[in-house]
Amino acid sequence: MKNILKYAFLLLATVLMASCEEFLDVNDDPNNPVTVSPDLVLPTAQVYTANVLHQNRYFNNLGNMMMYNWSQSDGFAWYPDEFKYNVTSSFYQQLFNYSYSNTLKMYQILDQLESPYDNYKAIAKVMKAYHFQLLVDCYGDIPYSEALLRSQEATPKYDDAKGIYENLILQLDTAILLIKNAQNAVVPGLDDAIFKGNMNNWVKFANTVKLRILVRQSSMAGRDAYLKAEFAKIASEGSGYITADVGVNPGYVQQENKQSPLWNTFGKDVGGTNTMNNNATCATDYILTFLQEMSDPRIDRLYEKPSTGHLGVPQGLLDYDTPVVDAYMPEKVSNIGPGILKGPNMPAIVYTLAESFLNQAEARQRGLITTGDDAKTLYQKGIQASFTTLGAGDATAYYSQVKNLAGWDASSNKIQAIITQKWIAVNGMSAEQSWFDYSRTGYPAGLPISLQATTSNRPVRLFYPAGEYSSNGANVPAQPNAFTEKIFWGK
Amino acid sequence: MKKVTLLMAMLLLGLQVLLAQTREITGTVTSGEDGMPIPGVSVIVKGTTLGSVTDMDGRYRLQVPVDAQNLVFSFVGMATQEIAIAGRSNISVVMQPQAIGVDEVVVTALGIRREKREVTYQTQKVGGEELNIIAPTRAASALAGKVAGLQINVQDNGVNPSTQILLRGLRSISGDNSALIVIDGSIASQGAFDALNPNDIADISVLKGATAAALYGSSAGNGALIVTTKAGKSGQKFTVGLNAAFTMEKVAYMPDFQTEYGTGWEGAYDNVENTNWGPRFDGTLRQIGPTFPEGYGLETQMVPYAPVKDNLLHFYNTGQTFNNTVYLSGSSENSNFYVSIGDQRADGIVPDDTYQRNTFRVNASKRMGKVELSASTSFFTDKSDVVGGTIGDQDRPLYWFVLNTPANIPLSTYKDWDNPLSYGYANNYYNAYYQNPYWAIGTNRNIDESNRLVGNFNLSYDILDWLNFTARAGINNVWGNGKNWRAFQDYDHDLQPSHSAVSSFVEDSEFQTKTYTGDALLSGNFKFMTDFTLKSILGATVYATDYRGSTIRANNLSIPGFYDISNGTGNLVGTVDESVKRFYGFFGDFTLGFRNYLFLNFSGRNDWTSTLAEGNNSYFYPAVGLSFVVTDAIQALKDNPILSYAKVTLSNSTVYNDLAPYRINETYSQHVSFPFGTVNGFFLSPTAVDANITKEKINTTEVGLNLGFLQSRIWIDASYFNTITSDLITFTTPSITSASTSFLTNIGELQGKGLEITLGGNLIKAKDFKWDINVNYTSNETIVNEIYEGLDEVAVTTTGQVGVYAVVGQAFPQMKANVYQRDPQGRIVVDAASGHPVTETGLFSLGKTTPDYIVGLNSAVSYKGFTVSATMDYRTGHVYYEQGSDAMEFTGRSMASVSANRQDFVIPNSVIETSPGVFVENKNIPVAGGRQSYWTDVYNDVKSNYVKDATALKLRELAVSYELPAMLVRKTPLSKVSLGFIGRNLLTWLPADNRFSDPEFNNTNSNAIGIGGYFQSPPTKSLGFSLNVEF
Repeated sequence: MKNILKYAFLLLATVLMASCEEFLDVNDDPNNPVTVSPDLVLPTAQVYTANVLHQNRYFNNLGNMMMYNWSQSDGFAWYPDEFKYNVTSSFYQQLFNYSYSNTLKMYQILDQLESPYDNYKAIAKVMKAYHFQLLVDCYGDIPYSEALLRSQEATPKYDDAKGIYENLILQLDTAILLIKNAQNAVVPGLDDAIFKGNMNNWVKFANTVKLRILVRQSSMAGRDAYLKAEFAKIASEGSGYITADVGVNPGYVQQENKQSPLWNTFGKDVGGTNTMNNNATCATDYILTFLQEMSDPRIDRLYEKPSTGHLGVPQGLLDYDTPVVDAYMPEKVSNIGPGILKGPNMPAIVYTLAESFLNQAEARQRGLITTGDDAKTLYQKGIQASFTTLGAGDATAYYSQVKNLAGWDASSNKIQAIITQKWIAVNGMSAEQSWFDYSRTGYPAGLPISLQATTSNRPVRLFYPAGEYSSNGANVPAQPNAFTEKIFWGK
Repeated sequence: MKKVTLLMAMLLLGLQVLLAQTREITGTVTSGEDGMPIPGVSVIVKGTTLGSVTDMDGRYRLQVPVDAQNLVFSFVGMATQEIAIAGRSNISVVMQPQAIGVDEVVVTALGIRREKREVTYQTQKVGGEELNIIAPTRAASALAGKVAGLQINVQDNGVNPSTQILLRGLRSISGDNSALIVIDGSIASQGAFDALNPNDIADISVLKGATAAALYGSSAGNGALIVTTKAGKSGQKFTVGLNAAFTMEKVAYMPDFQTEYGTGWEGAYDNVENTNWGPRFDGTLRQIGPTFPEGYGLETQMVPYAPVKDNLLHFYNTGQTFNNTVYLSGSSENSNFYVSIGDQRADGIVPDDTYQRNTFRVNASKRMGKVELSASTSFFTDKSDVVGGTIGDQDRPLYWFVLNTPANIPLSTYKDWDNPLSYGYANNYYNAYYQNPYWAIGTNRNIDESNRLVGNFNLSYDILDWLNFTARAGINNVWGNGKNWRAFQDYDHDLQPSHSAVSSFVEDSEFQTKTYTGDALLSGNFKFMTDFTLKSILGATVYATDYRGSTIRANNLSIPGFYDISNGTGNLVGTVDESVKRFYGFFGDFTLGFRNYLFLNFSGRNDWTSTLAEGNNSYFYPAVGLSFVVTDAIQALKDNPILSYAKVTLSNSTVYNDLAPYRINETYSQHVSFPFGTVNGFFLSPTAVDANITKEKINTTEVGLNLGFLQSRIWIDASYFNTITSDLITFTTPSITSASTSFLTNIGELQGKGLEITLGGNLIKAKDFKWDINVNYTSNETIVNEIYEGLDEVAVTTTGQVGVYAVVGQAFPQMKANVYQRDPQGRIVVDAASGHPVTETGLFSLGKTTPDYIVGLNSAVSYKGFTVSATMDYRTGHVYYEQGSDAMEFTGRSMASVSANRQDFVIPNSVIETSPGVFVENKNIPVAGGRQSYWTDVYNDVKSNYVKDATALKLRELAVSYELPAMLVRKTPLSKVSLGFIGRNLLTWLPADNRFSDPEFNNTNSNAIGIGGYFQSPPTKSLGFSLNVEF
């Protein structure tokens, strides 16, 4: 009896202990995976690229406000900070925050892959370079070498802006090599929402990102030798530049959360109703006049033409009802046009062909590129590409005008003509690029500033977000003046 | 062995050993206080279960075995007496009132009952009667102001309000700081507590600190509320009773708003504005809303350009609540039962908000010899139908639409919203930007139903006189579903050019949580060497909870008014969330007593949890305590006429807060935009996780003092505690450039200190006149000792301009916001050109969001059958971010916006910095945009303008009741009739600058305390009647 009890107890204890371990083994998250394959990461990263460029108050939006492309209709208090050039540690801080915490985070995952994912890794490097350049252009020195390491480095140091620029070129070189040497590597397919796995296009795009980085430095004194050498490397690589607009399109569709971000923000909601941003946002008086004076047919594609004719609003207008009450109501002003807002399915523009040509034109004009099309041809190709993208037809008549800043030969200052044309070409698409150009060159000349501005010029950089001072205070540099301290390439 | 088998057989068959030979004893029990007979006194033959109860005249009659030795007489509030029978057949007894606090029995952790003198930490009990004076619909709200150390925050006043229960402040930055809820011995949840019918509660024992609750292991850190539901009182005859209450609820106060300016923008009148930036009111008749075309059938609306008195207040209804409970209870020699059915129906202050709930309870127990079986079971079901929370094309809460009504708008005339020829109709409504709130009520609904089944089963077996085995099993299942819908609305573009169409959706949700608990305890009481006692417990416990929730949503519905998922266009959006958490533990608890005045307690528990990795998931929770009854120990103090009782306690414990399930790994989730066709996309969680994450440790030391004076008619309970939480499980904020927005790790240390004093007294205790008073004082503060090197703050929540933070060296939770730059004399620095104030870079600490101290006052005065009782509390020393007034600055209805007559003005007491560090008084540079843009763009950007003193004095409860005299009642079939007039929150005093909402309101039941006033309706007060009848 005693023995039976003893064994029974032992048996019971064993069963209990064993089942206890199983009992507690319930901590595998049933809702979320711990690892996912690269083809599930890449499309998300690219959607983040599209979002950081085109969502409400991101890069493109900022560029359009800074460059006097867009203003505000009556009945809205939509852009108070933009109109005041109220650059603070909260002003457009989402550019910085979203880039690091969403876009770059996802590319960083791909950048750490090993063979056979060389193609994914290369795409990640190209896109990282693309985004880091945007950040440098807005903020100057930023975390780079110690950034994106998650729990391994909570307080990344800030790196020198010029050093980052140089390293981006090296990263792009590596990316091109990875693609060219990728044997038996997995090739992305539909999960690549930009080139659908066409790796040759990725090489061309890598060269075109280089082009933007190099041209941005072309106004710097003593930088020519470096730039020429880098352009020579692009030439010898031989793949050339992009041949069409580059955009993200994972299959945007008129459904909740699935519309192209610019359309979703400034076009219509999924129900087909104009968004508040659509009603609130319209052309400035200045740009309409400019386009009209240049006889530019793109005007009706860049801006909606109300039945009462084009009407723009000066940025920062305080009294909308003098002399005419309700003159600037949303239905009476020129809102963002059909050449920019093409529909819920439109790709989210990453880099336009027009910008590529105009960047080449500038490099050619400055003698940094010495072969291929001459500057005039590149200039005219750029304008035609802009017309094509906007759906404005043939550009020959336009660029054949004997008119300063439109016709090549009629333009006294070729660089000014190129930059001014780029301002029109990236209007509503990559408008932040023309803001960087403006800081660098001062073109387009005579651009008005907002009526509510308390400074005599527009900002040349953004403030580091307040969060960096609280979470990374030891590293974040003293904030340079937003109106006077240009990024290194503008000095 | 044979003996045990026999015993078991007897138990299983439920046999009782009855002794045949008996004789009768009779007698009367009277009170030593007033000489009156006492009904309901329990008379039991010692060592048996045989007993009886005195009748209305204090008489009893009892059959006792011939060999019975002693009778035990006991009654609540009276000293228990043991009388030797000594062959007598008539034994009358005079009972003496018991000195309160001396031999009171306290229910402690795991249902263990202890005499108060033995308890080495501080507890406080709230009786069911005290709780139910004002017929509350939730027990938690009725605890406010009654217990030292307990802070109850009633966070909103909807028909189904939520409450935050904090004991002794906060101990964790990211973890749950709410007290553990235990109902009838089983770990429950705040949901289960809120689902209780307050009428079913016998009492609530508040275990204030971690030490008291240490036996609950990882759930113990925040103290515990031990709730015991009613049982049939031993010796009580069969009783049927009814508790009925009817209350009316009204808005207590609306925000303080200006009434000088009306609809308009930049000083000009505008007939379709929601803002109040128009000209000064002049009383002239002006158009509001759109101009209707010829033959439209509706004249253009003209109203006087003058403020409509209380125009927002009149939007709200008078709410009504009927709260009825029918109960049956009774007992026999060996069994008792309690059954209740509750029904609550409420109409809220928001038109069409309704709530209905039913509660059912069956409690029963039966003793069979040495075995007692008991069960407490309840079923709860409720349904709420309230206005949706995502109204209009901006997904705003209802209050937004009410607040966005200018002062000259007769809001309550827009009720007829679905009549195309009324001014309330969407196309005709005056406001070009925000919809008619009556329309919102009709076109946005949120309907939720939930059900809860709770069962607790208890088996107690007295193996030997000194040895007991208790096993307990609890189930707590809650499940429910919800439907949330919004109707489509589009607009005539000519009448409403600025309105965007409102999209439609329907969302269905379901959830279920199943929680199972089990305990087994073996307890033995020993006496040795005449002076020593040892009460010991060994036990095991197990806990498992399993949650599953799902929602599915369809957008852009095709058929108007048909709210089914099948009616959507585009993809359905759905989520399913599941989680499982389990733990088990073994524990021991030993109390060594010496001469019944000195007690030393040791307890320990070891837990194994499912939320941490194997090998790293075992934790030991030790506690030690000492209790010393000074007045019994020191001969000279015994029977002192003034100091009747004095006890000192000292204790220390270490407990660990557990991690939530699935927290130890970084995970991916599907991105909301995906899938696109066959392409799917996932994103990595923004939270980075420390690979070595572990539990956080809470160490508490507590000193307590209990004093009773004048036969304990006046008493003082005091305690002081010091809590150190280390290895805090904290979501720190890394640099966002690390590609994570939060980092979950164990860092830092919090230190909480606090003092609690309860002063109670029966000030007057005459035959017909009684006056009891109870004052409790609570002060506690939690300081952040350290986070980690290089990091001196962590945000709990922040907008970048204002937020709740943990800041090293400062009290937690701390409100931070951007502030004006000031010169060394504290004057505001303004810009020399614009006259606008200059703000400092970064955010500044403005104060903590939990009170420095709370004073609660309860008092009851009774004269004959009348009783007047009141509960007040005063909280101060904390701040509140008044989110509503921030959001409303834009509309120009704030008092501030009219403080300078809507003109450019020189900011009083301002300076200009002429060169670094040199400040010159600003006498002549006015702010630009004083008409409007200064307020909307500059003033509104400085969030410290909306961080207000949260001080509040509330008359939370006021009740006048009358109990019909027994003489009168006895002539009817009834045994008890009492009537009451009840009031809740009748008066609230707030500082002059914080008259927007209730500083107790909070957006979330989390550690982000101190932000609210915009998602909630305005604060309310209620008045009503109650009736209690027993048959």
